[in-house]
Amino acid sequence: MTSYLELSSITKSYGNFTALDNVSLSVEKGEFVTFLGPSGSGKTTTLMIVAGFEKASGGSVQVGGRSISELAPHDRNIGIVFQNYALFPHKTAAENVYFPLQMRGVSRGKGLRQAEEMLSLVGLKGFGHRHPKELSGGQQQRVALARALVFEPSLLLLDEPLGALDKNLREQMQIEIKRIQRSLGVTTIFVTHDQSEAMSMSDRIVVFEKGRIEQCAAPLDIYHRPQTSFVAAFIGESNLIPATVTNAASREADNPLLGSFEYAGADNRLTDGQAVTLLIRPEHIKLSRNQVENRKNVRMIVDTIVNYGDNALVIGRAGDIPMRVRVLGADVVIIKEGEECCISWTPDSVFVITK
Amino acid sequence: MNTFMRWAGILVTIFIAAPLVIVVPMSFSSASSLQFPPPGYWFGYYRAYFTDLDWLIPTWNSVVIASATTLLTMLLVVPATFALVRHKFRGKSVADLMMLMPLAVPHIVMAVGYYSYLGDLGLVHSHMGVILAHTCLSVPIAFLVLSANLKGFDRNLERAALSLGASPTKTFIHVTLPILRPGLIISALFAFVQSFDETVVAIFISGRNAETLPRKMFDSIRQEADPVIAVISTLLFFLVLVGIAAPYFISALRSRVPKPSRSPAGAH
Repeated sequence: MTSYLELSSITKSYGNFTALDNVSLSVEKGEFVTFLGPSGSGKTTTLMIVAGFEKASGGSVQVGGRSISELAPHDRNIGIVFQNYALFPHKTAAENVYFPLQMRGVSRGKGLRQAEEMLSLVGLKGFGHRHPKELSGGQQQRVALARALVFEPSLLLLDEPLGALDKNLREQMQIEIKRIQRSLGVTTIFVTHDQSEAMSMSDRIVVFEKGRIEQCAAPLDIYHRPQTSFVAAFIGESNLIPATVTNAASREADNPLLGSFEYAGADNRLTDGQAVTLLIRPEHIKLSRNQVENRKNVRMIVDTIVNYGDNALVIGRAGDIPMRVRVLGADVVIIKEGEECCISWTPDSVFVITK
Repeated sequence: MNTFMRWAGILVTIFIAAPLVIVVPMSFSSASSLQFPPPGYWFGYYRAYFTDLDWLIPTWNSVVIASATTLLTMLLVVPATFALVRHKFRGKSVADLMMLMPLAVPHIVMAVGYYSYLGDLGLVHSHMGVILAHTCLSVPIAFLVLSANLKGFDRNLERAALSLGASPTKTFIHVTLPILRPGLIISALFAFVQSFDETVVAIFISGRNAETLPRKMFDSIRQEADPVIAVISTLLFFLVLVGIAAPYFISALRSRVPKPSRSPAGAH
C-alpha cells in the first residue's frame, strides 16, 4: 500500500556537488507536511523536483500511485505559492485566480465567478477587481493561495510564503492557511526555515540538512525526541551535553565535568561505554540558590540574563559547559549576573541522542 | 555657494535648451534663410514643407525605412535577447560583444564599410540597403533596452504560469509578453528613432532613390539654409514631446477615473 505522495530515493547533483542524497518520503492524502531546514539544506530543491522545475538525477515522484517524474510542470496539476507570490501584475486579482481555469478551458464568465468564490474563501470578497500592486502583502498572499487552489490541485506546495510578511501578519496567515488547507483537505507541502512556523502548522515535520532527511516526525516528537544533535539544536533551544553511557541497565551516563546523569528516554538500544549526547531543554531546568532534593544538581555561574517580560533566559557555565535555563519572569529576581547558583533537573528531562 | 550652484544650473539648462527654443520661432520666420531673431512671422514655410515633394518624399522614405528597420531589428533582437540573458552557451561573451559592436565603432567607419560592401551587393541607393545598415545600428540599442528589462523579469511569474497549467507557449503569450510589453515598446521606439535620426550612413548610401529626411536636411543646409529645416525640426521636436508626455498623460487620466466596484466580476 503506497501513500498518496511518494518520493523514492531522490538524488540531485550539480557536477560534483550533491544537493539531495537519497531522499525518500511518504505523505498521506490531506496531510500538511513541512520541510524545515537551514538554507541550502535541500528543502527547496526537493519542492522544485516535485513541482517539475528541477529534474532529479535519480529516484521518482509518485502522486496517487502514478509517477509524475516524466510530466512537464504544466501537466502536473500542482498548485504552488511562491515566496514573492508571483502574481501576474497585468491581471486583476480575479483574473489571476481565473488564469488556471482559463488554461483548462473554462469560459470567462463561469471562471471569474468561480474565482470570486475562491477569493471569498480566502477572505478577499470584493477585492477581485484590484490589481496586485493595489493590494497589501497579506492580501497578495491570499490571492496567490486562491490561485493555487482554485483548480483543485492534487498537491499544494508553499515555498516560504510567509517570509516577506511582518510578525503579526505572519501569525495571522499561519492560522488562515491552516484553516483553508483543512477546509479543502488538500495535501500540502510547506517549506520554511522558521521552526516556530513548522511547529504550529504541521501534521508532520521533515528536517533537512545537507541534502538528507535528518528526521521526519510529528512536531512534538521532533521537539521531545530528536534523533540527531542537529535536530535537537535546530528545533527549539537546547542544552547538549556530551557523555558516555556508564550503565545502560540502570540508565546512567557520565560527563567528566558534570558527573553522572540518570536519563529517562532513548529511542535506540544503548550499550555500556557508548558515546552519546544528552539533551536537556532550557525550560526543564530549575534555577535555585541551593540544592533541590530528588533532582540532579549542578553549580552554574551566571553570565547573562535576557529578560522577555513573562520569562527570562539565563545563560551561564556549569563546569565550563555552556548552559541555557529558561525561567519564569518572577523567578529570575533571585539571581544576578556574575553570581553562582544551582541548576537542577529530573531524569525525565534528559533525552539521549545517539547520533 | 548655494545661489551660485542654482544660477549655474539655470544657465546650463538655458544653454542646453536654447537650440530647441530657437528653432521654434525660426520656423515661423519670414526670412528667406535661417536667421535669428526673425524679421517677421508667417506660416509660409509650413505650407512649403507640406506641399513640396522634395521634402515629402524624403519624409516618406524616412518613415518607411525607420518602420522596416524597427520591424527587422525586433525580429532579431527579441530572440537574441532571450538567448543571451537566459541561457549559457559556448561563445556567449563573443556574441554579447558582437551585438554591441556597432555602438562602439564610429558611424563614419561603418558608413565607409557599408558603402563598399553594399555597393558590391548592388544595394547602395536602395531602401533595402539603408534598412540593412540601420538595422545593424539599431540592434545594439534595442538589445540594451530589452535586456535590461528581461534581466529584471521575475522568472517565478513564468513558473507560476506553468504550475497553473499553461504550456510554455501559452505562458509566453499570456504572461511573458504582456509583462514585457513596455520594454518591447520602448526598445522598438529607440530602434525607430535611431533610424529616423541617422545621418552619416544615410549620406553615404541612401542616394537619390532612398534619400532620408536627415540627409535632405543636411543637403539643404549646405546649399541654401532653407527655413523649412526649422519647420521640420520644430515638428519633430513636438512629436517627440508628445511621445514622451503621452504615457504620463494616460496614466494620470487613468488614476483620476474612480474604479467601478464590479460585483462578481463580469457576470454578464
